[in-house]
Amino acid sequence: MDKAEKRTVYISPVTRIEGHAKISIQLDADGKVEDAKFHVNEFRGFEKFCEGRMYTEMPTITPRICGICPTSHTLASVKACEMIQGTQPTYTANLLRRLMHIGQNLSSHALSFFHLSSPDFLLGYDSDPAKRNIIGVAEKYRDVAVSGIRLRKFGQELSERITGKKIHIMGIVPGGMAFPLTEENRKALLDWMPEAIATVQTGLSIIKRFHEENEQMVKTFAPIQTLYLGTIGPNGEHELYDGKLRFIDADGTILQDQINPANYLDYIAERSVSWSYLKYPYYKPYGFDKGFYRVGPLARLNICSRMKTPLAQQEFELFKKINDGKPVHGTFYYHYTRLIEALSDVEDAERILNDPQVTSTHIQHHGRWNYEEGIGSSEAPRGTLFHHYKTNETGKLLNVNLLIATGQNNPSMNRSVMEVAKQYVDGNHIEEGMLNRVESTIRCYDPCLSCSTHAIGKMPLKIEIFDTEGKPVHTLIRD
Amino acid sequence: MAKIIVYIDDKKLEAESGKTILEVCRENDIEILTMCHLEGITDIGACRLCLVEIEGNNKLLSACTTKIAANMVIKTKTERIKKYQRITTELFFAERNHVCSVCVANGKCELQKLGYKVGLDHIRYPFLFPQCEVDTSHEWYVLDHNRCIMCTRCVRVCAEVEGAHNWDVMNRGNQVRIISDFNTPWGESTTCTSCGKCLHACPTGAIWPKDIVQGQLNKNPGMITELIEKRKLGL
Repeated sequence: MDKAEKRTVYISPVTRIEGHAKISIQLDADGKVEDAKFHVNEFRGFEKFCEGRMYTEMPTITPRICGICPTSHTLASVKACEMIQGTQPTYTANLLRRLMHIGQNLSSHALSFFHLSSPDFLLGYDSDPAKRNIIGVAEKYRDVAVSGIRLRKFGQELSERITGKKIHIMGIVPGGMAFPLTEENRKALLDWMPEAIATVQTGLSIIKRFHEENEQMVKTFAPIQTLYLGTIGPNGEHELYDGKLRFIDADGTILQDQINPANYLDYIAERSVSWSYLKYPYYKPYGFDKGFYRVGPLARLNICSRMKTPLAQQEFELFKKINDGKPVHGTFYYHYTRLIEALSDVEDAERILNDPQVTSTHIQHHGRWNYEEGIGSSEAPRGTLFHHYKTNETGKLLNVNLLIATGQNNPSMNRSVMEVAKQYVDGNHIEEGMLNRVESTIRCYDPCLSCSTHAIGKMPLKIEIFDTEGKPVHTLIRD
Repeated sequence: MAKIIVYIDDKKLEAESGKTILEVCRENDIEILTMCHLEGITDIGACRLCLVEIEGNNKLLSACTTKIAANMVIKTKTERIKKYQRITTELFFAERNHVCSVCVANGKCELQKLGYKVGLDHIRYPFLFPQCEVDTSHEWYVLDHNRCIMCTRCVRVCAEVEGAHNWDVMNRGNQVRIISDFNTPWGESTTCTSCGKCLHACPTGAIWPKDIVQGQLNKNPGMITELIEKRKLGL
């Protein structure tokens, strides 16, 4: 009888995510999953090539890190610049920035849910991979696909109607904004509200139905016990644009509250690993082994005490019931929390657009270089984002550190991949649907690897299976 | 000045003797591409974009430095000229590090406009990617050598209009650089008056005010021309 061998399965490229990655699954001699890793195999180097530039260029350079969350990068960047100058944005500028940030969050969440993930929910994890995409959804559920695409359009229009650009936005400047919102554009944006609310509620009904029909799977889908980090308002309310940080543990106990983001290095440390370009950040007081934490919509809803808007608050209360008020650990709930945030986004956008000051032209305070160091943070769609700049006395950048949301989720993504692989992958009978479930673990986090590694390109994924001697025996690649 | 007849692009034109081909073309709404020319300061024919063909002369000559002569037959839009304009524009982009998307001058840049004008859709020459210094030492302004095309408008406007002559040029070939005083950081210059004329003269994002970001740049080279005209009138 032949000797049993260890093998490794590769999923490469991982599909329907943003960036390049692969998953490797190590099988033991019996075909059981022994280990699984999420490898990010792209590199860009923004932190290095920004050195030597003027700090005021960073709000222009850093949105180019990513086409999905450019506004979050600009906001983190511009806040770091404002710390260097010692300036604050005007009231109206804050409103406009919030609107643009909401627009980006909505468009990213719509992309994640409707374009990338809904094919799994609407068509099935085991359906034909060739049709398991937004086109396949459009063929079978035309209205859902069109609504999802239009929600993304609305999100981008929020930026376009303020600054003239949909994606790599400009106009968010240290001290405020470069462009005001016109009355015509304010009205045009308000016209979107009923449709946007309806679309988010469609998404919510899809995910809730899926939860009902797949209760067991949803509850047991990588429910990893981690810490959570996110931004909150002064009263613990959900916050995306500006606020303080809160860390909670897996039981919901608040570990740190109302932390100034400028002190992030007191609480977060990073470590590199040899098999990925993505670093491993961790909560410093707990150390590398126990300090894994998660960020993003699930984390934000786990840490916050309430939502700021009524419809989102209703959904938030339902969400809180899932684990009797304790943090919800199931990775699958990222989708649900993403949609609750989207609901809050639309409601909040309406509130801001009805603020009488939103069309004011007092949009910028002017400042100059005053301090050598600046740190800014914002909640990107995928989680908390930090920009940290050090300059010389002329404003030239000496050091740039970008701590990206996907990077902070990296340890948890790895652990989730391992759990789902153990649950679904049978090394003796590898089927495409099994591997799709492993891929979909990654999609729950909606990672943006271009951001997190400051890397270039699109993001397919690959799953590899190795034998006991480390030779690949099975590889699944999708371009 | 005596009036003479010249023929430009098959048009018979009457022009004042002593004028350059560029001046006559601009007076008659004949488009000539330029980068180093700035109305009012001395022309030097550096950028080679204004090259024209003159009948009887096999060489292409720069319109900004060549004076008209009686019965001169000039062509400004031949295929040969267009080819050289395209090459010149490509070389501008290939020589240093021009990244429009993150440049403070994006949307307000004469080099970018030139690229659109000549239909620049790709660059056939290898990019040199030189390591260029960004001089942030001045209190108000930045000089970014990555974006400099060596038009030397800053040098001439500083010397001829402001009278300070802070700027000059050092080295040759692709090592050529704009320098402040005797190659000292701009912030340590003893001649710079911080007037900002070089900023307005600069056609790209090479010289810009420190505290603005993309979308806020407002260069006005016409202001320099106006200053020169006012001085001529003794205003």
